[in-house]
Amino acid sequence: MQNFSQLFENRHEYAKEWKKRTGGKVLGFFDTYFPEELAYAAGILPVRIMAKHYADDTTDRLMYGNCYVTRDMFNQFNLGYYDYVDGLVSIESCQWWYNAFDTTMQMFPNLWSYYLFTPDYPDANRSKDVMRSELALMKGKLEEWTGKAISDADLDNAIEVYNTNRRLLRRIYELRRFNNPVILGSEAMEIMLACQVMDKAEANKMLEELIPKLEDREPYEDRVRFILIGSETYDAELEKLIEGLGGNVVIDELDNGSAYIWNEVIPMKDRLMAIGLRYMSKPHSALKDNVWRRRPEHIFELSEDFQVDAAIIAKQIYCHPHGTDMYAVWKLLQERKIPYHTFERDTTLPYEETRMGIEALINMVKPGMTRLNGWSS
Amino acid sequence: MKHEFGKWPESCWQSDIIDWKKAAKITAGLDIGTTSCQAAVMCDGELFAYANIRTGADFKLAAADVLTKALGSSGMTAKDISCVTATGFGGGNVAGAAQRLDEIQCHGKGARYLFGKEVRTVIDLGGQTVKTIRLFGWDRVADFKTSDKCATGFGRNIEVMSDIFLVPITEIGAKSLDVEKDPEPSSTTCYNFAQSEAYGLMRPGYREQDYNDNEILASYLFTVAWRALSTIGKIASLDVGDVKLEEGVGFTGGLAKNPGITKRLERELGFTAMEPKYDPMLAGAIGAALLAS
Repeated sequence: MQNFSQLFENRHEYAKEWKKRTGGKVLGFFDTYFPEELAYAAGILPVRIMAKHYADDTTDRLMYGNCYVTRDMFNQFNLGYYDYVDGLVSIESCQWWYNAFDTTMQMFPNLWSYYLFTPDYPDANRSKDVMRSELALMKGKLEEWTGKAISDADLDNAIEVYNTNRRLLRRIYELRRFNNPVILGSEAMEIMLACQVMDKAEANKMLEELIPKLEDREPYEDRVRFILIGSETYDAELEKLIEGLGGNVVIDELDNGSAYIWNEVIPMKDRLMAIGLRYMSKPHSALKDNVWRRRPEHIFELSEDFQVDAAIIAKQIYCHPHGTDMYAVWKLLQERKIPYHTFERDTTLPYEETRMGIEALINMVKPGMTRLNGWSS
Repeated sequence: MKHEFGKWPESCWQSDIIDWKKAAKITAGLDIGTTSCQAAVMCDGELFAYANIRTGADFKLAAADVLTKALGSSGMTAKDISCVTATGFGGGNVAGAAQRLDEIQCHGKGARYLFGKEVRTVIDLGGQTVKTIRLFGWDRVADFKTSDKCATGFGRNIEVMSDIFLVPITEIGAKSLDVEKDPEPSSTTCYNFAQSEAYGLMRPGYREQDYNDNEILASYLFTVAWRALSTIGKIASLDVGDVKLEEGVGFTGGLAKNPGITKRLERELGFTAMEPKYDPMLAGAIGAALLAS
């Protein structure tokens, strides 16, 4: 466990060391819809760019109005933390992310860059074909950049490595389903985050060693069980705060949480179609949950499966996809009588207000485990 | 002499009916807020003493000070109190507190003491946040909503407005109601921006038809009331038995004493708020003292 947490803390050093060791290129990406398998098949290390809260005296002028997550991503490039990244990919995603990509490329024109269109309506009839054709274009560009042809065998290997990673991480999630889980939400989130900046084959080895040890662990005491919903987070501080107050995040619906691993690529002869289908059928992000509105129901299913007592919705300030999405989620939670608390956060936590809201929610639902007692009946 | 119009009067009180020496259980609750601190001392579940002071810059000092003021010359010392419970934004700074509880539980519990068992909705209009709490009839929080992290538009901002208009804070609400008709609400509740807007509105010729001071105050307080209204709206539809939202509503917090806010809220929601037995700012401290165990 500690290995993952340390690795995540030292992720820049890890990537630099990986480059030195393999001679490969590092490709930064922002969004969960980026098909990492393609880059991995080309011998590239895909690294998720994650926000921190570093001192920032530039982005306010260059990216005014953006959310702090996207501003800090550019800020970190500016501060030199991502000086080892050779290229940057942007996906058809929220406008803030595109702005972060665009601004970074303007300031760092020597970076290799690619904009991948991913359909905004993943459930639409033609989305899978559009996605496949976009993947074919990107594959060609990656081959051009690396000077190496991506064979079917490379794609098969990448699909297998990524599927294995998803399966192993899913096992970590399953350990949280029990009444007295052997792993806390913060620990699971640190593993998830580390896996998004690592070579997945190396991550898989570490996970295979870790999971049996976790299974033999003494379970934690019973706590109020939460589902965490909302914008992306890049640390486990919120989970730790919840644990400190007597709760535990047993499941999440975050783009860099469960949505990152929830489904696998189903192998097909047409590898690009198989990869495309995986990304089009993954749990939708707030931005792409258009028309059909599948997210609220998915959130409810997760809540039921993991027997949560309440939901916490943490939205990044100025995050418009989640600002829009929240209303549908609230409606469903109210209808299904799942208590919830919503708050806005920056990349860091506003500690006292967050504590107050979560502590109140815990105290509200704790007596007699409310759902059994008919909360708000 | 410098006039500080935003300063509201501090207070303290001890009961001359209750003999604390005969009490089987004495508990205290300290609500250390961003703008004000309250201490309530309960003897066998009845209010024996309280104090209400401004917090200032030092939470620890304010916490010690407010309890000393509450005990006053009653002869009771901190050692006579069996359990001290802290709550509020600065609740972590109370030396000697046996426990710290969240504000929602404390305000809910305290409101039932202040308003009686009929209270179902508590709207806490505080220095930094507004909290709306819905209670079940059986002493339990059904749901709550709080304002976001920014302090815009609540108690602290009214203090700032008092200083701008040179109107004592205790009079600001009544003055804002002394208008023929509420003017358009100000465009922001952020007190930095609202200050600029207020300065603009005070200048002759800023608008086609100039506002007088009362109208500018009305414009701002109307906006603040609207902001509070948004948290109420989020849980208005919650079913707490056969009691409708407009029945059994109590205001707590410093702004509960500002009719410019409360009357506007009553008008918008179509109800008349319940009358508290004591200072509505004491709800959190009384609740904390009652929950002390």
